[in-house]
Amino acid sequence: MAVPADSTEAYRESILVGARPRVAAPIGRLQLGSETALAYGILTPTFLVILGMVAYPFFIGIYLSLQNKMVGAPGRFVGLQNYLELFRNDLFARTVYNSIVYTAVAVAIKFVLGLAMALILDQERRFNNFFRTLLFVPWAMPVVIVSLNWRWIFDDLSGFLNNFLITFHLTNNIISWLSDPSLAMGCVIAVVVWAGTPFYTMTFLAGLQAIPRELYEAAEIDGASIIQQFFYVTIPRLRTIFLTTIMLSTIWTATNLQFVYILTKGGPAGRTEIFPHLSYTLALGAFRLGMGAAVSLILFPLLVLLIIFLTRRMLRPVDE
Amino acid sequence: MRTKSGTQRLLRWVGNGLLVVMLVWTLVPFYWMIATSLKKDKEIYGFEATLIPRHPTLDGYRLLFVKTPFVKYVRNSTIIAVATTVASLVLGCLGAYALARLRFPGRKTIARGLVFTYLVPPSLLFIPLFAVMSTLRLIDTYHGLVLAYLGFTVPFSTWLLMGYFRSVPVELEEAALVDGCSRLGTLVRIILPMALPALAVVAFFAFTQAWNEFLYAQVFVSSNEVRTVTAGISLFIVEDVFFWGPMMGAAVLSALPPVILYLIFQRWVVKGLTVGGVKG
Amino acid sequence: MADVRVTRRQVLKVAAATGIATTSPWWLVNKSHAQRAKKLIFWQLPNFTPIADSLQKEQVYEFAKSAGLKDEEVEFSVVGNDVWIQKLSAAIEAGNPPDVMRLFESNVQFFGSQGHLVDMTDTVDRMRKEPQGIFEATLTAVRVNGRFMGVPLAVNPWPMHARLDLLEKAKVDYPKTWDEFIETSKKIQEPPRLFAFGICVGVTYDTTNNVTNLLWCYGGKTVEADNKTVVLNSPENAAGLKVLEAMFKTHKIIPPGSISWDDSGNNKAYQSRQAAFVMNPTSIYAYLDGNDKDLQKVTGLFPVPAGPKGSLTQIDTWSLALFKKSPYPELGKGLIEYMLRPDNYDRIVQSTGGRWVPVYKRLFDSPFWKEKPVFKYFIQMAEQGVPLSYAGSPTPAAGEVLNTHVIPKAVQRVLVDNWPAEKAREEAHKAVAEIYARHNKG
Repeated sequence: MAVPADSTEAYRESILVGARPRVAAPIGRLQLGSETALAYGILTPTFLVILGMVAYPFFIGIYLSLQNKMVGAPGRFVGLQNYLELFRNDLFARTVYNSIVYTAVAVAIKFVLGLAMALILDQERRFNNFFRTLLFVPWAMPVVIVSLNWRWIFDDLSGFLNNFLITFHLTNNIISWLSDPSLAMGCVIAVVVWAGTPFYTMTFLAGLQAIPRELYEAAEIDGASIIQQFFYVTIPRLRTIFLTTIMLSTIWTATNLQFVYILTKGGPAGRTEIFPHLSYTLALGAFRLGMGAAVSLILFPLLVLLIIFLTRRMLRPVDE
Repeated sequence: MRTKSGTQRLLRWVGNGLLVVMLVWTLVPFYWMIATSLKKDKEIYGFEATLIPRHPTLDGYRLLFVKTPFVKYVRNSTIIAVATTVASLVLGCLGAYALARLRFPGRKTIARGLVFTYLVPPSLLFIPLFAVMSTLRLIDTYHGLVLAYLGFTVPFSTWLLMGYFRSVPVELEEAALVDGCSRLGTLVRIILPMALPALAVVAFFAFTQAWNEFLYAQVFVSSNEVRTVTAGISLFIVEDVFFWGPMMGAAVLSALPPVILYLIFQRWVVKGLTVGGVKG
Repeated sequence: MADVRVTRRQVLKVAAATGIATTSPWWLVNKSHAQRAKKLIFWQLPNFTPIADSLQKEQVYEFAKSAGLKDEEVEFSVVGNDVWIQKLSAAIEAGNPPDVMRLFESNVQFFGSQGHLVDMTDTVDRMRKEPQGIFEATLTAVRVNGRFMGVPLAVNPWPMHARLDLLEKAKVDYPKTWDEFIETSKKIQEPPRLFAFGICVGVTYDTTNNVTNLLWCYGGKTVEADNKTVVLNSPENAAGLKVLEAMFKTHKIIPPGSISWDDSGNNKAYQSRQAAFVMNPTSIYAYLDGNDKDLQKVTGLFPVPAGPKGSLTQIDTWSLALFKKSPYPELGKGLIEYMLRPDNYDRIVQSTGGRWVPVYKRLFDSPFWKEKPVFKYFIQMAEQGVPLSYAGSPTPAAGEVLNTHVIPKAVQRVLVDNWPAEKAREEAHKAVAEIYARHNKG
């Protein structure tokens, strides 16, 4: 790749051209129609799987949310009544607040840590493979086990954390991590971060590894410092991956109930109650499927907006 | 040979420091699991959180292999996870190619639609899905679980691969097409080799998701012939008593396959990169 | 150009082939509307001891053979305790529940009132006609509109597990009243290593059980016997809550970590010698029997101390139920009757190490129970015990109150948010009243 050595501006331009995600312009001889047929053709198996395994149950879920339905009994259509009941609930405001804080903070921390680790692991170093594998470990375990393990670690008396702090005289008292209203959310987020960071690290790392070295070398020859290389070479090429990862992770974090279910069950006094957990309590605990469906769909509008916003740039067809 | 600037050296040091911190932060809880799996019940319920088991025992593991069909569970988990991974890769590559390189009406909607599938969590979805599986006689079968897992892995596989495919320079494909290669041929011969890191990532994630999935594995399967490791682990929770020793033992063992796979795949991917000429 | 067109056609062919290949098995399978191959499906929730598990399995297959079934016609599935609700709900919604399974307290009334269960009144009546009969207190759980829709399988009293050695060391007897209890607790505890009262106050089932039991002693209760009038807003309930508050904040006899306990928290606390008094069914005792004989030797099982309005023991009932959807209900019924036949039944009861308390009164005459002084109070507890939903019966509404953790939330309002007991009680009352109203309407 020829690199203009005259100005940093032009240089940046050329790199960005290569980096900008785009779809190939149709080559003259091909017609739009054939591309459509091909596209739909190869997407068929995917459609079938998604239709059967996700879309159909999904629409049933929406329909459920509009019904007064208990397990085992036929449902009765009640329109938006479930949603209204939810809004009127005293805990609604608190749950909204918790859900947003929980998701936003966890995703932000995972992003920063994941990026930092990816950059560090991209550096050349002995045993890098080994370190990468070790950092992957949290993701290799089921969330339930991770949560149970951390519950133990946070335990008042026989927990590792308190034992450690007391043995090394970092504190004199036992800290009730999961029972303290001001600490509980932080603890849950810590576990979410522990379990989820590898996803970010690995995807960012793969992205970094796909950036050709020549770009950095060219930039260096041109006089760009490490920091400038980071901002003008690395970040643009990773933008799509950033957005994709954040989008997926936000959705997964926002809709995951297992951490809260095992660690705090929404307590103490509702400090960690988030929508997916509330939905579970209502749907299975109270056998109220309609209500449970409504609660889990509450986040829907917000998340849909988020998806549309984040994917707008990513899905833009051609840049020229 | 790069000359190390001051900034570079500083970054190196900071990097190494952070790495050490992260390794400790990551591994200590895992070590705790291992230690618990090697402790006798009495020590587990003891006062102190002993870092090193006072009377290490393999009882937990013995119970695991002798009293439970753990090996069978591993076999089942493996079959299901591998099938899910392969299918996810195939469907993901095809889908990603269509969304990244082809122009057709509905492209954006389909891409977004794939992501929308994550908006209703499995913790709710499983009830209507169970009805679907039941009608299709997929309960208690391998393919039932694999299909259910594909519903989860295919969207993100497609999206991740789409991202990587877009970063492959189009000129290479255009050149190949001019030379007479078919579109799918360019996928296989040009794009895939360059997206090897992405394929590896997608493979790990799909495998790990399928391997560690907890809810569907328990609800859609009752027979020991199809039961997976994660469903087996939950059998160690009897009412309000947790049998921590064997449970953590099972968890430690079940964490090994994904980790080992990752270790192996990594080297292969890096080799592929240098051979494929991306870095060269 | 020719190249491209061939490619497109090829691809379309492949797509069509894939589509057909992936969907055709389902068509074929669906066409064979085969009858369900299994004639008898039993879902087992793991029992406390592996011996009980295998005994139960044996009995299922024994019965099947005696009924002329082949082994392949029987399905015996182990369903984890943490996922049985999901599995059962999904199965019922899909229209294929198991034939026989064990259900908890209010489940029989819930599924029975929806018409999913087979009427087992004659089976139960036959059990009651056994010499000395059964503990009639267990019938509240299975009675739906005057008929018995399930068969009581085990009665679980919730005694107070107590550390006899600590009592001896402090030279005190087991306290008879809650006031004495508080004093005794202060004497024997050594915080932070050992707290006296391991009452559960986390967001979990045990909390509702424990706290309600405490409230009863002060005259409080959730609902009246008509199963409609909710009385959570009574002054007695506030009084009971205030006692709990004092225990936590003033006397400090409750471990602070209890706020985040799940159902295994109090078990763990007692088993690791971090709590001296714990209210729990005998799962703790049975665990010690197999794993910590030293601690078991110094564990006593007592009725709950008395408050100004006396002391009530809590019991909850487990039942076996037969689902109507079963294509061979006679088999299911036969299985249930086989398992409840006193000799078969007694074998399982004894193999659970004290976890199951038998529903047949005369089984208490066996040495297993008689020779252990620790079970001294059990007959009295089983006779006089009342369900959690006292003064009502375990209706679906009561089940929802339990499953949505209304009481734990109220308790945490008091202990964590520092609300006055009256205010927390009001909030809980509103929630419970709404639940009962909804159930009684529909």
